[in-house]
Amino acid sequence: MKDQEIDGVLNNAGRAPHELAPEVLQRVADSIKPTLRPVRLLPPPWVMTCGLVLVCAAVSLAGAARAGFFGFEKMDMLERSLIFPALAILAWMAGSEFVHAKIPGSLRRISSGALLGIGTTALLIVFAFLFRDYRTDHFFSAGIACLLAGLLHAIPAALLGWLLLRRGLAVNSVSAGFAAGTLGGLAGVGMLELHCPNFQAAHVLVWHVAVVPVSGTAGALVAWTLRFRAGSRPYKRISPK
Amino acid sequence: MHPDSNLEKLMARYQEGDYAAATDLIERIGPQLHRFFLAQSQSRKDADDLLQETWLRIHKVRHTYRPSEPALPWFYAIARHVRVDHYRKSVWTAVGKRQLEAMTKELAADPRESHRSDALDVLLAPLSESEREAIEMMKVAGMSLEEVARATSSTVGSVKQKVHRAYKKLRVTVSAARFKTGQSEELS
Repeated sequence: MKDQEIDGVLNNAGRAPHELAPEVLQRVADSIKPTLRPVRLLPPPWVMTCGLVLVCAAVSLAGAARAGFFGFEKMDMLERSLIFPALAILAWMAGSEFVHAKIPGSLRRISSGALLGIGTTALLIVFAFLFRDYRTDHFFSAGIACLLAGLLHAIPAALLGWLLLRRGLAVNSVSAGFAAGTLGGLAGVGMLELHCPNFQAAHVLVWHVAVVPVSGTAGALVAWTLRFRAGSRPYKRISPK
Repeated sequence: MHPDSNLEKLMARYQEGDYAAATDLIERIGPQLHRFFLAQSQSRKDADDLLQETWLRIHKVRHTYRPSEPALPWFYAIARHVRVDHYRKSVWTAVGKRQLEAMTKELAADPRESHRSDALDVLLAPLSESEREAIEMMKVAGMSLEEVARATSSTVGSVKQKVHRAYKKLRVTVSAARFKTGQSEELS
């Protein structure tokens, strides 16, 4: 059987008339009438994405300004010119994904999970290329401190991002949470790169990069929990007027 | 020009507060969305409620529609969101469970309420929920692959995969149905 035949069968079945009582439509129209007034549209997606990247950069810079720019001072030109543009590109991608997740009917180029994968892999590649010190001094103690510091900066970045896009509607809240968490995680990595002077490959590859997947997953979990809680509230039936 | 450009114009006027455009949109989109809800809800009353709930949500977030974008996927994205919300509420709350039981009894008592005899529903019965949704959007709402991807917040590749899987299952179903019809004709 050919696809065209299936198309024909589906088209015939889909063309069947659907009856809907005019009172139902009238009730809908009546329910929106009292609050019908002009609305202020959302700004263009690129403006919102710029805003998110700026939030990300501001959180990273504020965190590093408080803790000290020791990492940035220790870096050479090659390291600076590869790490920060890479972080900026990834933040732009995560921001754009977050914006699309908050506008219903937007076209998604990649899924949020894929974005997280791309972000993590890209950082691993850049760091593996740049950092060649293979010692593992204070691997856990120094690493956990960096992971916590990164996550501590990821939270305000993700929350500020969510606040910036509060007028949007996340039709897939888990996906939006993923994107927000990834964006926050990138802000956390940005702060660590500016601040942390520990350039041991294992430290950077494991603990700095881990901020992105941990933060992304936490964002998705928080969104899922909030949605689950909202979903457990009793369904409110709208009575006909 | 987009085939549904009128919808986009109406939507722009609705955002400006034009009541005539709003009612026009409700008349054009309402029956489509109602059918979308009816395909997976338990009763017509439930679908009516979902339609009203969806329009209230659409009304609340009408500022999120971007005039340069296709309107139909935007409507369906919100409808789908409301339906998922409703499904969760029905499943996870005791009230929802009681309502579902009551509806099931209601349906058993009054077979006219059932809409499962709808040809498309019967045809799509073997498909998974996401496959059925993609096929319904394409064949009933007349959306393109890209528009379905927009409405379901997924990528075009993922929608293509779902449609491909759905067609595979439909090929088996339709062939089996034809085989049965042929056999019964031969016997008679």
